[in-house]
Amino acid sequence: MIRFENVSKVYPDDVVVLQDVDLSIEAGEFISLVGQSGAGKSTLLKLIYAEEEPTNGEVYINDRAISAIKRKHLPFLRRNIGTVFQDFKLFSQKTVFENVAYALEVYGKTNEEIQDEVPQILDIVGLSGKANKYPKQLSGGEQQRVSMARALIRDPKIIIADEPTGNLDPIATADIINLLLEINKLGTTVVLATHNKSIVDGLGRRVVTLDNGRITRDEQNGKYML
Amino acid sequence: MKGLKLWRTFQEGAKNYTRNGWLTVATVVVMTLSLFIVSMTMILGITTNLILDNLKDKINISVSFDQEVPEDSILSIKQSLEKYKEVASVTYISRDQALEDFIKMSDNNPAIMQALDEIGENPLLASLTIKAHTPDQYDIIAQALAQSTFKDDIANVNYEQNKTAIENLNGIGAVTREVGLVLGIIFISISFLITLNTIRINMHSRRSEFEIMRLVGASNTYVRMPSVFEGILYGLTAAAVTLIFLLVSLQALSPLTKGVIDNGSLLDYYTGNFLQISLSVILLGVILGALGGAVAVRKYMKV
Repeated sequence: MIRFENVSKVYPDDVVVLQDVDLSIEAGEFISLVGQSGAGKSTLLKLIYAEEEPTNGEVYINDRAISAIKRKHLPFLRRNIGTVFQDFKLFSQKTVFENVAYALEVYGKTNEEIQDEVPQILDIVGLSGKANKYPKQLSGGEQQRVSMARALIRDPKIIIADEPTGNLDPIATADIINLLLEINKLGTTVVLATHNKSIVDGLGRRVVTLDNGRITRDEQNGKYML
Repeated sequence: MKGLKLWRTFQEGAKNYTRNGWLTVATVVVMTLSLFIVSMTMILGITTNLILDNLKDKINISVSFDQEVPEDSILSIKQSLEKYKEVASVTYISRDQALEDFIKMSDNNPAIMQALDEIGENPLLASLTIKAHTPDQYDIIAQALAQSTFKDDIANVNYEQNKTAIENLNGIGAVTREVGLVLGIIFISISFLITLNTIRINMHSRRSEFEIMRLVGASNTYVRMPSVFEGILYGLTAAAVTLIFLLVSLQALSPLTKGVIDNGSLLDYYTGNFLQISLSVILLGVILGALGGAVAVRKYMKV
């Protein structure tokens, strides 16, 4: 589903962030990406949703090289990838409903479809009663669930979660991880970057460890070890 | 689907316009100042030209003839003068007419009336008033008069006294046109840069939104159009405010221009040409805003 072939990423001034990364993620996998700050986790994720381009090597999604996709077609790639971040990335001026609806508006769903689908997904993430609230009226856990709802509403094949629990308390953290596991059960590939040892150890899934831009460990049923 | 998306981007732009409070006010104020300065420059330029045209209309050469020259020969001279292509019109003023005009002009001043009585006869000369098409033709006409066959009949040509005034006026006309053009271009460029910058600052304060739009899979057009519509709305508001400001300030300036312009005052000019003026201001505002919005988001669209 996702394949990195000999990928390196060098930022200006010769800052090497990723080096010779080979990684293959199968459809339906739940993979945790661990490593210290600056190890290259976020950059690796950005290469998947085409926010960054590799300096060397190639990233394939469904056996299709991202570099071969025309720039103006990248939005279509992103519509199949749901993203969730530590800072939620919600529109502060839009309500919960509008934030989730935006993901459908950008590709031309009708108002009827939006009115139909958004409440369903809000129900799934447990925010039915909060549709008309603004993000700042919600707790961190609730805001993250809004961003999950937005990622899920397009039924993506891949969910990229970059430190989704970084700003959350333990209960909200457990909620979000459980939600990710539920989504994964339905067949969606989940790539989770995290610093949280107990999450990773509790999952008992594949763990890839990054250190200084290189993959140093890749274990099925792995543990959090740096 | 295209129409639906376009409508949505318009709604987004309109929402940004109403939701951004002070940013909207600040942007509109800056755009209003720009539009006001540009339109004021243009209106003043046009007015200056009208004033100059009016003054030029008053320039002429007056040729007075010796008392002995009979009216018939003056009239035949008039006819021959009218054949010059530089000459726009020639008016004959008889001695009696000149006296009448003079008395009228002196407002029946008793001292002057008394002086005329003492002279006993009409002291004024018959004359021809010559108008040229353009001020720079007077020189040619004056030279032609000095070399003409009837040059001995001429008592006086008032050209030399008027010469400097005519030359000055020609100079002023050329200078104002050039200065007006240069100032206009400078003001328009400055206004454009300032407006662009203001919209950029406005957009920069919401740059995180553009990132979210991209992440959620919005196309470039979908990211850009709300900003373009927002810019257009700024431009429309600024244009409306500018037109009101123009009305107020031209009303204040109008008394200064009464009589100098042929057709009334500055205010009359504004109201008389309101359709053209308002259309130009609105068009300029819309172009400035749309371009500003489009350029301002460019750097956030690295898709």
